[in-house]
Amino acid sequence: MSKTIIEMKGIVKSFYIGTPNELEILHGLNISVPEGQFVSIVGASGSGKSTLMNIVGALDRQTAGHYSLDGIDITKISDNELSSIRNKKIGFVFQTFNLIARTSALKNVELPMLYAGMPSRERTKRARELLELVEMTERSGHMPNELSGGQKQRVAIARAMANDPAIILADEPTGALDSKTGRLVMDIFHKLHKEQGKTIVLITHNPELAEETDRVITLSDGSIVSDRMLKGGAAE
Amino acid sequence: MNLFENIKMAFASLKSNKMRAVLTMLGIIIGISSIIMITTLGNILRKSLTDTLNSQGGSKLVAFQISLKPEYVRDYYMTEDLITEDMIENVAERFAEDIEEIVISGGYESGKVRYRREDLDVYINGVNPGYIARTSDEIIAGRYINDSDLARGANVCVISEKQAKKLYGGVKEAIGQRFSAKFLGQNHEFTVIGVYETKMTALMSAMNSLNTTAEDWDTEVYVPYRALTKIYGGSEEAFFAYYAIVNDGVDPTSFCEEVQSYMNNRWYRDNDSIMIRYMTGESEMAMMDQVMGIVSMVIAIIAGISLIVGGIGVMNIMLVSVTERTREIGVRKALGAPNSAIRSQFIIESIIICLIGGFIGIILGILLGNIAGVVIGTVAPPSTGAMVLAVSFSMAIGIFFGYYPANRAAKLDPIEALRYE
Ligand SMILES: Nc1ncnc2c1ncn2[C@@H]1O[C@H](COP(=O)(O)OP(=O)(O)OP(=O)(O)O)[C@@H](O)[C@H]1O
Ligand SMILES: [Mg+2]
Repeated sequence: MSKTIIEMKGIVKSFYIGTPNELEILHGLNISVPEGQFVSIVGASGSGKSTLMNIVGALDRQTAGHYSLDGIDITKISDNELSSIRNKKIGFVFQTFNLIARTSALKNVELPMLYAGMPSRERTKRARELLELVEMTERSGHMPNELSGGQKQRVAIARAMANDPAIILADEPTGALDSKTGRLVMDIFHKLHKEQGKTIVLITHNPELAEETDRVITLSDGSIVSDRMLKGGAAE
Repeated sequence: MNLFENIKMAFASLKSNKMRAVLTMLGIIIGISSIIMITTLGNILRKSLTDTLNSQGGSKLVAFQISLKPEYVRDYYMTEDLITEDMIENVAERFAEDIEEIVISGGYESGKVRYRREDLDVYINGVNPGYIARTSDEIIAGRYINDSDLARGANVCVISEKQAKKLYGGVKEAIGQRFSAKFLGQNHEFTVIGVYETKMTALMSAMNSLNTTAEDWDTEVYVPYRALTKIYGGSEEAFFAYYAIVNDGVDPTSFCEEVQSYMNNRWYRDNDSIMIRYMTGESEMAMMDQVMGIVSMVIAIIAGISLIVGGIGVMNIMLVSVTERTREIGVRKALGAPNSAIRSQFIIESIIICLIGGFIGIILGILLGNIAGVVIGTVAPPSTGAMVLAVSFSMAIGIFFGYYPANRAAKLDPIEALRYE
């Protein structure tokens, strides 16, 4: 049996804690994701998908419950340790790409490695390989404002892969793209999943795209209402 | 996260907003350039003054003058208080080994010289033969006043090159001519025995260029001081002050101390109010330094205010920059940048703004200082101390005023930063 990458037990997230209008958004979620699984999370707008993803991605802390990521209990660790975990274990892909402006595609891909303290030469070498993987070699010297949406998202995926993270977290990565370009981006995720065995968590509004993955978790008002395994996905 | 990457990043961000960067630097530029300008100017003035003083005896020239005792009972001079010729002779003999030249000016009268239909101003300076050593003058025809001229109180004079050319049509032609000047209500006649030329130092020509009549006319005419005494109708010579030029290798200050106490013990011990005090060329320099010190202080205060205002400008722009780049900061944090990396990124950006401003300020300051120097006629290098100070000061401003915005950036919550529109 393969190891568990995400292990969540009774995750609760509340806002405005300690005030009269305290708001519980996530109501005790239990999720376990084994290594190499391609999971999609769907649900209505406001159901808490992004909130969940922020916790999975170590950007935010849960209010209650237990979360361990790749064997590390991240309930009680410092901000700097959280930075380091984001840097090494997680690759983010955002709906709005979020490339750093006035910084070339290559430098954008290098950035997580820079923060990891990798030497310059090694960094550039790996960044070139990653850009080749997403078929963006030709554009490596281009600035973000010289790239199309699909091209930006491919660079962003290359950047997410930089430190060979345990999980790729993608929050509506095709949301700002037309269906054809969205298809291209999905193909890259499939490639990373099949060829490199990456664990991927995909948040999407598009049920068709969700059906392509191993497993679909449906959220509604901060609770899991369904958790389906599809085709040959690894059993829980 | 290494320094070099941070510097590259800072430059990229400044390049994207050049105009803003330059405007932000303005306060720093003004502050630093005024500091550098004033120190450069100070060096130039110091150099010019040293040149001028050196051409006139320099630090070897010392003066002895009568002045009030601390316990004085009257605050005016009487004839008995003055320095007599005998006293000077006595000192000259007693300290013969130390003294190169005794310099005396024993009277100074303003008068008029008739030239065609004009009356030209002249000043008749009654001097001793040693006097030429404390001026920047050189004899170009004839000779200077000698001991025999002085002893006889001869009616001879030494005039300037410009006077010779104007009055007699040439330098050689002037020798032996009669020079007639009206002063003390009467016409007095002197025979021209020599013509002098003033070797101008840069500072002197600069000051002279402010004087419009100086172009074709000098006002000073030298005569033996006894010639003036005869005109005054006196017989004994007495002075308020005299100068000495000391020999090479003699320390002017200790020489002065010795002469001062010698004279005071010998001739002024019983005087109730008057004593001898000395002044050295060094003390003139010290006075100049004092004046420069006050000017520098004023400029330093202005520069300091401008640097603080500049620093606040830098802080303001850095706060704007942090706000503008909130999303970028969020992304960097999501990619794993620790708080310290974000903080140093912004501090380095602020340091670089200040350093560039500082360098532009240094260059501008040197330029302005030397433009002023060209007007005065001397150029001098800026003081390296001031430059080092300016660079470290701009860096300190960068750190001080950059810290708060940088820290704010570092402490942003990653999720809120990522959501920022
Ligand atoms: N920082 C916050 N403070 C208060 N409420 C918040 C905060 N972040 C999220 N919420 C609330 O939590 C709920 C879930 O938000 P979330 O962004 O997770 O939804 P989502 O499922 O990602 O929606 P969408 O599909 O529109 O992106 C929403 O009602 C939202 O208003
Ligand atoms: Mg969302």
